[in-house]
Amino acid sequence: MLVLTRKPGEGIIIGDNIIIKFIEMKSGGIRIGIDAPRETKIYRQEVYDRIRQENIEAAAGWDMTDLDTLSDKLADRTLKK
Amino acid sequence: MKTINTRFGEVEYDPSHVLDFPEGLIGLDQLKHFLVMPNKKEGPLFWIQSVDDPAFAFVVTDPTGFFFDYLVVPDENDRQKLGIDENGTCFVLAIVSIAPTKEITLNLSGPILYAPETNKGLQVILEDARYSTRTPLPTIEKK
Repeated sequence: MLVLTRKPGEGIIIGDNIIIKFIEMKSGGIRIGIDAPRETKIYRQEVYDRIRQENIEAAAGWDMTDLDTLSDKLADRTLKK
Repeated sequence: MKTINTRFGEVEYDPSHVLDFPEGLIGLDQLKHFLVMPNKKEGPLFWIQSVDDPAFAFVVTDPTGFFFDYLVVPDENDRQKLGIDENGTCFVLAIVSIAPTKEITLNLSGPILYAPETNKGLQVILEDARYSTRTPLPTIEKK
């Protein structure tokens, strides 16, 4: 991993069109600003990782009888039919 | 018609009915094609089965059946990926998980957008603290 030291107000440029600015240090956190094309997906890593993990776990652990039982339980509780 | 081997046994499908997820799922970007498997039981749950990797099948549901105010509006970028314009129909689906306690939870923080006109789907990330990847169903007050 490339490691750089930057001061508040300084930035880095990634590729041709992504700019990351380091704005300030504040109560143990670092505020950064990102300029990137609209189609660039930007997520907090822990949020992305959580969804990735949930996708993997959601695909496992099912057995068909669970689904039948749940379908019975849920059939009469959805708000709209 | 084509066939794949899944936990449902051998499934025959028409390739023109396959749901297309151009970006795959988040963290599972190899999963780009899904079949909708109707549930044997009546109810709001149904399976989507990956065509690319038969080991992957997800249970999904319409979250707005449980959460009245849950609304996910695709932005321009999402619509482009789904191949629809601002008047295009877009449904939201949530992936369902089952806890060891047999309680079910919905992934409201990573919902799936689905455009029926183009048969395309897209998983999006909502950075909204109200929604969790394991949101329990709202409790029903007994009258």
